[in-house]
Amino acid sequence: MLVAESLVKRFGDVTAVDRVSLAVRPGEVVGLLGPNGAGKTTTLRMIAGILTPDTGRVRINGVDVRSSPLEAKQCIGFLSGDTQLYQRMTPREMLAFFGRLYGMAEDRIGRRAGQLIEELEMASFASRLCGTLSSGEKQRANIARAFLHEPALLVLDEPTASLDVVSGQFIIESIRRQRAAGRAILFSTHIMGEAEYLCDRIALLHQGRIIDEGPLSDLLGRSGCANLTDAFLRDIGRPGAPHEAAP
Amino acid sequence: MRRHIVWTIFRKELREALRDRRTLFLMIGLPLLLYPLMILGFSKLVDVQTEAGKARASKVQLWGDVPDALAGRLAQDHRLEITAAGPLPELVRRELASGRLVPPPKPPPGEQSERDVKAEAETSLVAAIRPVILDRSADAVVFFWPGFSASLEQQRLGHLSIFYDSVRDESRLARQRLGEELTRFREEVVAGRVKTRGLEEGFAAAIEIHPQNVASSARRSGQILGMVLPFLLIVMSATGGFYAAIDLTAGEKERGTMQTLLCAPLRPAEIVVGKLLAAWTIGMIASLANVASMGATFARLGGPGGQIQVGLPVYSLAFAMLVPVSLMVTAVFIAVAVFARDFKDGQNYLTPLLFALMFPCAAVMVPGLELSVWTAFAPVAGIALLMKALFVGEARPDLVLAVLVSSLVWATLAVMFAARVFERENILLGGREPLRGILHFERRPGLTPSAGAALLFYAVLQVLLFYGTLFLKNAGTVVAVPVVEYGFLLVPVVALVAAMRYCWRESLNLRLPEWNAWLAAVLLGLSAWTVGGGLLVRLLPPPESLIRALEKILLLDDKSMPLWVLWLIIAVTPAVCEELLFRGLLLSALRPLGMWPALLVTSLLFGLAHASVYRLLPTFFLGLVFGYLVWRTGSVFTGIIAHALNNGLMATLVHLRPAGEYRDLGRSVFLPWDIILAGSVVMLAGLLLLRRRAGAPGRH
Repeated sequence: MLVAESLVKRFGDVTAVDRVSLAVRPGEVVGLLGPNGAGKTTTLRMIAGILTPDTGRVRINGVDVRSSPLEAKQCIGFLSGDTQLYQRMTPREMLAFFGRLYGMAEDRIGRRAGQLIEELEMASFASRLCGTLSSGEKQRANIARAFLHEPALLVLDEPTASLDVVSGQFIIESIRRQRAAGRAILFSTHIMGEAEYLCDRIALLHQGRIIDEGPLSDLLGRSGCANLTDAFLRDIGRPGAPHEAAP
Repeated sequence: MRRHIVWTIFRKELREALRDRRTLFLMIGLPLLLYPLMILGFSKLVDVQTEAGKARASKVQLWGDVPDALAGRLAQDHRLEITAAGPLPELVRRELASGRLVPPPKPPPGEQSERDVKAEAETSLVAAIRPVILDRSADAVVFFWPGFSASLEQQRLGHLSIFYDSVRDESRLARQRLGEELTRFREEVVAGRVKTRGLEEGFAAAIEIHPQNVASSARRSGQILGMVLPFLLIVMSATGGFYAAIDLTAGEKERGTMQTLLCAPLRPAEIVVGKLLAAWTIGMIASLANVASMGATFARLGGPGGQIQVGLPVYSLAFAMLVPVSLMVTAVFIAVAVFARDFKDGQNYLTPLLFALMFPCAAVMVPGLELSVWTAFAPVAGIALLMKALFVGEARPDLVLAVLVSSLVWATLAVMFAARVFERENILLGGREPLRGILHFERRPGLTPSAGAALLFYAVLQVLLFYGTLFLKNAGTVVAVPVVEYGFLLVPVVALVAAMRYCWRESLNLRLPEWNAWLAAVLLGLSAWTVGGGLLVRLLPPPESLIRALEKILLLDDKSMPLWVLWLIIAVTPAVCEELLFRGLLLSALRPLGMWPALLVTSLLFGLAHASVYRLLPTFFLGLVFGYLVWRTGSVFTGIIAHALNNGLMATLVHLRPAGEYRDLGRSVFLPWDIILAGSVVMLAGLLLLRRRAGAPGRH
């Protein structure tokens, strides 16, 4: 499904992402874990085709993101915690707008929008201007936008950031349903509990590099720690010993 | 580019913008309020003040040798209030007695109505009267020079001076009232003298001049509006697009929605065109509101007794002219605003641009600056001058075409620039990037300039050339041609190559060719004009006025000019400067496009630089010939030889003709067919010589 190979991105003299490789299979949730500034957002933006890597390449369903960006983006649903909505549009109008941008037929847009509004319990605010919605309502509308075109790969960049516990849990459950539907999900967070609950595999990112990667049990086993937080802290306490992520 | 995607983005952006009260107010509310409030309110205020001024009698003091009859007559005029004047100051009296203070000489005809006392010597009389007017004891002072009464009685010339303050309205009005009353008095005196002496009526006046204004009221209105309206319309329509451009770019970044758009399967050009069309539409709606509000205001103002009468077609044409200029300005706004991180930042970026826009718009207010082959190609200024020409009904079809074509070219360049900026993902996500990188204007030590850099350089050069030539309007050809060629073509080319550290030899094609290349250059230089000037001019004969202007530019109307000077200015100078730009820098920059695209583009730019629809075809053709020559020989020197021979030969032939005969060249006498045929054979020989060469040398 998703294969990212040796991605590098520099901003001036700063190397934000350094030789990061990742793979996500259908029906799998892979978590990208790291503190603020670790390079998670840059990595996900490169995978989603929003940023072009300096070197390395990304393929989604065999399609190269750099050489065929439009085709590749058709397969991606991207959502980040800081993604905002158009203030002067309603969620329903926004879904119709993005549906057209993704080349969906009008009847399919209507059907999918109806489905998502019901599934994500948006009926009470689907016709209100987005500028008037609460944070939780906005993020639900955003999720609907990312899920709308039924992408094979979901790239979710800290989707629960700045949400309360109830809204956050609602989002996490939505993501689990997408996994059950067979979608590949790449998910970044700095909340270790979320990662433990949701992810099939976890990649620990620090200073632009993947320092460890594998199922939760393997990470804990290798570190000898009882939980992911301790494992991560132990890992970043070992400077100069980065591991190349396994494909 | 997928049209349905552009349409989708356009509709969404427009819908969002129209839901924004701030945009709506700026777009429709402001113009609807502004013009009636500004123009009607202001004119009302002026009317009230004027009426108040007229109702009040002007305070006038009479100084010097005042004849009783005239004093009585002035006192009877209810518009004048004659106030008492004190005795003449001692100094004035002494100077009058000694003859040091005498009436000023009669001014030349053009200055009779307004005479500036400051321009004259500061006399004791002026020094004495000025405080009286400035402290408002009087609005005006009439000084009757010594012997005035006696002169009237003895039927001689009497002198009086009216002193007033041109800055103060009441003082000007007093001067006007005094002028009217005194003129009537003079006419009565003259009529009395003529009658007394038994002379025929009209003996003293000799001739009566009756000025008749042939300008229709629409034309007169057009002149008034043409000075102001283009400026207002362009600036107001730009203001409409100003906020939309910021909102759709920097505003979207600030709200964090740009990233959402970028992760959708869209091309940067689709996003930029969709947004541009929305901002442009908003600008055009603002323009329409402006034109409608302004038209309605002027219709109200220019009603019975008003002066402003402009028909709906003129307003419609003015609106149509806003279409290309608004597109260009909005594209530049979008491209610049996207660099901003937020709305406030965007305002900081665009405000200087808005002010910069006012400069070319103000071209309509520059006295004597009219739409011409030069001004037609200036961005924004061309449109403003075209609007002015439309208002007075003087727009020539060829210039309308030139303005529209050049505006569309500028607009396209602006859109291309905006699309280029939108390809920079880092900028769209809020990062910073140097402008030089976007324009491909990086230093390339040892290489040639990129096509984009060279084309941008050409565009900047054209703008500089336009504003530079404004200062050379009154300079003769002997000064103007070298200044333009060396100052605005050669020096910038050399400066660019030096500053960007391009390879001199490769960037300017500075190679010495073989002997047969020289021969080909001579053959083409001698013959190309016969085809360019002889055959193509038949297809599009230039108007008489252009021929005359060209003759003047090319010094062909001055038979006393030595031939060598003519060659230096008309042949050698343009050949060196223009070849180094077009067949040097531009051709080498466009070389990666392949031979024909490179030749076609450089020739088109060469033709456009000659700033005339009628000269476009021949100069385009010459550009192709010289371009092919330089492409095949790899040497700009062959182009210089051919160009110099071409210009020099034409100038020599016309110069050596008997005086008067050369003018026929411009009428209907075209080059004879036998000369065209002979020239074509020589040209063919030159081209064949080039074909036998191996081809252009490779680049390092």
